[in-house]
Parts: sequence; structure tokens; C-alpha cells
Amino acid sequence: MSVERVVVEWLDGHGRVQWRERLALGEGRRSFTIGRSVEADVTLDDPHAAALHATVEIADDGRLLASDLGSANGLIVCGKRWRNTRGLELADNTLQIGRTRLQLRTVHERLAPERPYELPASALARGPGWIAAIAGLACVLQLVYATWLSAPRDFAVSAVSLASVVLAVAAGWVGLWGLLSRVMQGEWRWLRHGAICLGVFAAFIAVRAMVEVGGFVLALPPPGNGHIWLGAAALAGALFLHLTHASPLPARRAALIACGIPALLAAGSHWFQAHDQVRDVNHIDARMRIYPPALRLRAADKLDDYFNKANALRERANKRLADALADEPGSDGEN
Amino acid sequence: MLSAVAVRAQAQPPAGPFNAVVPAASQSAREVLVQVRPAVIQIKSFFGSNTAQASHGTGFAVKEGGVFITNYHVVAEKVQYPGKYRLEYRTAEGQTGAIAVLAIDVRHDLALVRAADYAPVPLRLQTESEIKGDRAYSVGFPLDVGLTITEGISNGKVDGSFDPRIHYSGAINAGMSGGPALNAAAEVIGVNVSGYRFEQLVSFLVPTAHVLALSNRSLNGQAGIELKKEVAAQLHAHSADLLAAFDGAMKTQAVAGYMLPDKIAPFVNCSAMGSPETDSPVQMVQVLCDAKAGLYVQQGLYSGSLKYAHYGLTTDRLDAWRFANRLSALTAAVGRFGLLRHVGPYACDDRVVGLKGFDANLLVCARRFRKLEGLYDFTVRVSSVNSAKQGYASHLDIYGVAFEPGMRFIRRYVEAMEWRP
Repeated sequence: MSVERVVVEWLDGHGRVQWRERLALGEGRRSFTIGRSVEADVTLDDPHAAALHATVEIADDGRLLASDLGSANGLIVCGKRWRNTRGLELADNTLQIGRTRLQLRTVHERLAPERPYELPASALARGPGWIAAIAGLACVLQLVYATWLSAPRDFAVSAVSLASVVLAVAAGWVGLWGLLSRVMQGEWRWLRHGAICLGVFAAFIAVRAMVEVGGFVLALPPPGNGHIWLGAAALAGALFLHLTHASPLPARRAALIACGIPALLAAGSHWFQAHDQVRDVNHIDARMRIYPPALRLRAADKLDDYFNKANALRERANKRLADALADEPGSDGEN
Repeated sequence: MLSAVAVRAQAQPPAGPFNAVVPAASQSAREVLVQVRPAVIQIKSFFGSNTAQASHGTGFAVKEGGVFITNYHVVAEKVQYPGKYRLEYRTAEGQTGAIAVLAIDVRHDLALVRAADYAPVPLRLQTESEIKGDRAYSVGFPLDVGLTITEGISNGKVDGSFDPRIHYSGAINAGMSGGPALNAAAEVIGVNVSGYRFEQLVSFLVPTAHVLALSNRSLNGQAGIELKKEVAAQLHAHSADLLAAFDGAMKTQAVAGYMLPDKIAPFVNCSAMGSPETDSPVQMVQVLCDAKAGLYVQQGLYSGSLKYAHYGLTTDRLDAWRFANRLSALTAAVGRFGLLRHVGPYACDDRVVGLKGFDANLLVCARRFRKLEGLYDFTVRVSSVNSAKQGYASHLDIYGVAFEPGMRFIRRYVEAMEWRP
């Protein structure tokens, strides 16, 4: 007769093994007991378990069959509570007694074939610290540049103040995602979320600056509400990365959420601004940004060309008034 | 209006008894008041069927048959919204009745009205120019405290005003608008129109010549719609005259290495200042000019004026990036505050254009008046983009002008600019 060996694994809320015990049954013995008592083969430190709560029998074909020994709380198998039940098959080899989740492994279990080991594809998973440090440095440099550009009287104080405010907001954002990771994945993952937050923010302000400078260099028309969509794209990227690293959501669903929320926000903001500006007679949707003259690549328009197209401006002004009146409920009717 | 803070009858709520302080009149003032008292009425405006007044002003008889003159701004709401406002008069003795508007002169802020069942003897009009220093009196119903006379000095025609005004050094308070200003012989020398609220006794009168011109017009009266068309026509004529006054070579002055429009007409008031600190990284000079030719159309709406400002920057300490950033901050475009019931939203065109010897960013925004057909507001920003050490931002705002003349003026304004380091 052979000796049955059982490995009992304690699982946490995320299904990960907290610790394990190896159990060797006596010769010819094919069952063991679980309970709070030291007389049980597997002793639980759980006030919701009975002294001798259950027995588990290893059938000849390797199946595990659990029986309740008359406990008050019964057994929880596959999410369902069973009381006074005998010979209950543990389909996934897991069993919950009281608040303790156990996974039972025997020599009869079928092991999955060995998987080839690959280094993590995501740089975030491989070296989040480096990315967070580089992104943080990029953010600080850009904030320092923005402060320097405005030529304040006390440069150091202004730069530190601005960087402190931005980093404090980033810390709050990272804290929220860290908390979500802790709840859903059991790990804080500070560095990953820090890298995501700072990296996306640094990329956003860099792209925005490039769009502005590029517009000046090439004398392009102002982007209008383009900044809203750029911000939405940055938010979508950040949300996707945060979600995939903080939650067990599959990538496709995370992408759906990450794109959906910013798209809704941007569309709402765009609609609100457009709707609001239809009737805002004081808003001027133009912002002249000036950069060093040496950057200019495109020749200036001739003044004649500008004023020859004046009629188009009049038509647009007339249309804007017509749109505003059309948008006005019950247009005045004064006599 | 001449006044930055004009005394407007409409804007004043009925006054409480604590305001009822009438200065003691001299012997002469008492005699003048006795003579003109029957010919002066208070004109009240009411919204809908309310018995509480919306605003009030003064009027005085200029013709037989109950024809009175007052300010256009006293009856403006009735002209613009004839179905929603009504006018009533009240004499110093308490007689009341209805008022009908016969004719208007928006440019000179005058209106001719007829009072029902009240036809006093008209006052005599003195059309000859007053000599500076002559004794003068102003009569009206200030702050709704009853018929009042104030004593002052006539200082003759105002220098450098687009529309003629007489400078009266005496008190004209809200509610006296449209009342007569008189000489010692109780002859009308002008019509009370406005004053500077926070200055000391600087008030203005409409010269009597315009009263005479208006009272000689047909007195058949006009329907409301015709009066509104008349307002639009007069505003067009005024704005055309205003822009025509700037024809000819545009005078320029040097600002930070650029020649920019200066005091472009005698009636344009300009002031200039700069940053006195020599240790500042950027030295700024600003020139502010205002034509102050705007006409009151109705509450919250003025038309037919322009103002401009230049902000010149020079630096020997800032690099090109930071200097450009400083210049950018001066180009913010904010138009004159308006209401949707008066104007539409702005449409803008923004491009880099070549000017005399340099390139500049030119932004022109236009918005159309809602009910005054063919009138537009313009907001223009010009900023140089050619130098890393010198630059300027110029702001031009034009209110209530026709589109083509407005654009022609903007072009002349921009073409006058020149890079001359």
C-alpha cells in the first residue's frame, strides 16, 4: 500500500497561495480531517470553523470528496454553502471552511504542461523605477522650463511651487491607483503607477508644446479645441495602463473603458463649449502665441490677400449671429 | 457720450428723502426758476403696466402745442421697445399725462416729444455761442426730488470733441437729463446731457442749434418701426462721419522701434506711460487712445466709436524665448462687453502678414449688431513677430460701424505701421 500525500494551500482573497502545509497520510489511509482542534489533521485558525469541521476523502480515481461533520457553518464549495452533506466532490479542488479558503493538491492532480518562460514584455513590469524616474525628471524639467519662460522675479521659488503642486496632484492620482491595485491585485505597485502618471503627463505637455511651436513655425491655424482631444488621448492612454496594471480586467475591456471615459468627457466638453460659445457674444476663440522669430519657416501672407478675403469674415460673423438666434428659444418677439 | 460715467436718467432708481437737498438759489436763480417753471416737465418711463417708474428725466417746451425737447436717452427704451414701455409726464404742479415721441436725433442725444393736454409757453432759445465765464443755470428733476435749479458757469464749447458739446461748470445730476440750461435772461443755451460723476462740476450740454434743427423737422410723429429705422440710419451716418474724420495720412509715433498710429484726429484723446524701473528685464511703453465718440443707443449698447492701444516692449536682458512669451501675454483678445440681445458672437481671422519692413500677426474679429442692420463691432490685435529684442502688441476696438468702412479703416491702421529700429 502506498502513502497518500496531500498539500494543503491557504489562499487569499485573490486566489493566491499564502502558505502551504504538506500532509502525509498513514499507510492505507485515504482521508483526513480539517477543523479548529489540534486533533484535526489540518488545524485552522478560524473562529468560524468547528473543532472537527470536515473530512476530505481521496477517491480511488483521485477525486476529492468532502463531508461536513455537522458544523454550524457547513462547507462552501463552488460559491455555494452545503450543510450536513457527505461525499461532496471538490471539482476545482478548493474548499472554504468558515473564512478560510483551502486548495488541496494530491498526486492525482493533472498538472498543466510546462510553459516556456519569457521575460515580461512590458517595460513597466520590468523596470518601472527607471521609467518613473525618467518621466518624473522630464516633468520637472518641463515645469522648470515653463517657469523660466515666464521670467519671474524669484525663479527658484516659482519653479519649486509649480513643481510641488504638480507632483502633489500626481501623488494623489498615483495613490488612488495604488489603492485600487492593492484591493484588486494585492500589491500597491507604486512605481508602475508613478511611471504611468508621470510618463503620460510628460508626453502630454511635450506634445502640446510641440503643437504650439509647430503652429507658429509653419503659420498653421490655431488648433481650436484640439487641446481637448489631445488631453483626452493622454487620459485614455493613462487609464488603459493603470487599469491593466491595477485590475484583472482583460486588455480589450480595459481599452474599452479607457477610451470610453475620456471620449465621453471630451465630447461633453466639446459640445458644452460649442453650445456655450454659440451664444457667447464676448468670447473670442483665438489665441496668438509668439515664439522666437528665428523659428519661422513660412513666409507671411500679403496684406492684400488678407483683406481681399474680408467678405468671408463678414459671412462668418453673419452666420454666427444667425446660429445664435436659431439657438435661442422663442427668439425675442419684441415690437 | 462725452462722459465716462455719464449721468443717465434711466439708470437711476427713485431717490429717498435723504437725497432731497436743494442748494439755496441766488436771487437771479430764483427769478429764472419762476420764469421757466411751467415749461419744464418730468418725463417718466414705465415698463409694461407697472405703476413704479423704470427711469425718469426732464423735458422743456420748445414749441406751441405741447411740443417738448428731452434727451434721446430718456426715451430710448420706448423707441427701441415701443410695445413694452410707456412714457408719462408730470409737471411741477403735479399734472400728469401721456407722452408721444415725435422725432429723434441720436447723434446729439435729443428727442422731440408731445405731451397730451399740456401746452405751456415755450422757452426762448439762445443759439449764439456763450462766452466763457457767463453765469448759467441748469433746471431739472434730479434723483426724483422735485424741480431743482443749479447755478454754475458756462465754459463755452468743449475743445476736441467729435460731437459739439458745451462745458457747464455746475451740477447736473441723474434725472436732470433733457432739462434746460439757461442764461441769466432765462434763455435756453443748451440741454442737460451728462457729467462726470466722480469729478467736480464738469457737466455737458447739447448746444441749442441742434434743438432748433430737430424742432423744425416735421412734427407728424413716426410709428415705432420708423423710429427704430431712423435710429439705425442715424447711427450709420454718425459712424460714416467718424471714419471719414480719419481720412488722410495717418499720423504715427515711434514705439519700441516701430512707427504706430498716434493721435489720428484732433478729437482723439491719447495718453502714454511706461515702466520707470531700469532694472526690469523688459521695458514697456503703452499708448492709450480713445475717440470718445460713442452714442448711447439703449441700455448696455453704445455705437460709433473706437479706441486703440499700443504696448511696446524692448529688452536687453531676456532671450528670444522669454521675450516672445512676454509679448504673447499682451495679445489676449477680449472684445467690448456685449449682450446677446444687442450683438452676435465674434468671428475671427488670424494670420501672419507682411507690413512695412516686418511681419506681424494680425487678428481681426467681427460681430454683427442684432437689430441695427449693417453695423458691426471689430476687435483687432496686431503683434510683431520679427525681432527678438523689440516688439509690440497693438489693440484696436471699433464699435458700431458698417463692415466695409470698418475694414478699410483697419487696413489703413495696419498699413501705417512700420519697422524703423
